[in-house]
Amino acid sequence: MELKVLYFGMIAEATNRKEETISLELGSNVNQLQNLLKDKYKNLQHLSFKVSVDKEISSSEVLLNPNNEIALLPPFSGG
Amino acid sequence: MKKRKTVFVEGPISPSFIANSIEKHQTKTTIGAHDIFLGQVRADEINGKIVQAIDYSAYAEMAEEKFHEIRENTFSKYDLTCMHIYHSLGKVKAGEICLFVFVSAPHRKVAFEALEFLVEEIKKNVPVFGKEIFEDETHVWKVNKV
Repeated sequence: MELKVLYFGMIAEATNRKEETISLELGSNVNQLQNLLKDKYKNLQHLSFKVSVDKEISSSEVLLNPNNEIALLPPFSGG
Repeated sequence: MKKRKTVFVEGPISPSFIANSIEKHQTKTTIGAHDIFLGQVRADEINGKIVQAIDYSAYAEMAEEKFHEIRENTFSKYDLTCMHIYHSLGKVKAGEICLFVFVSAPHRKVAFEALEFLVEEIKKNVPVFGKEIFEDETHVWKVNKV
């Protein structure tokens, strides 16, 4: 399945892009996506981030589907 | 349900904008207490370099949803007459205002408590990212203290 993934802040800097489409096996979860991305972008391994699925922070077991909007979010620093 | 508002403004929040907001509330005479939080960009020294500005970006759609949830939670928790939140996007120089939170209530205690709750929720839950820029154009990414 094809997943749309958004990157923000220092994560966008590490991947050198703001979004992309990632191919992953149907039925994959957040953890599997994270592993694929850390493998693709080695410098993600040293960065702290959370994954949101449809604008909610999600745990690593959450299953993904192609309609999800996924984002990698570095630590928040508003205010 | 209160109507959904846009929180983000481009660039710094000017003192005259804040003064105007206060003035607009003079017709609301059930209000007895306002409380205001202003976040200002600090010229921190990091590894010998001084922060000149913070460049804010956000996951805007998620941030607006979170702001909305926080507003609803605050209204249900505290007896407020009204509440306004503005946050900057883009570049805000040291000394300028990047966050303006304004609560109004019949009495002071509720206003004090609601304001603290609101600001903490915003810092914790809203996906806004600040890039601290130095004079030599290099930068580091800011992380909020808990």
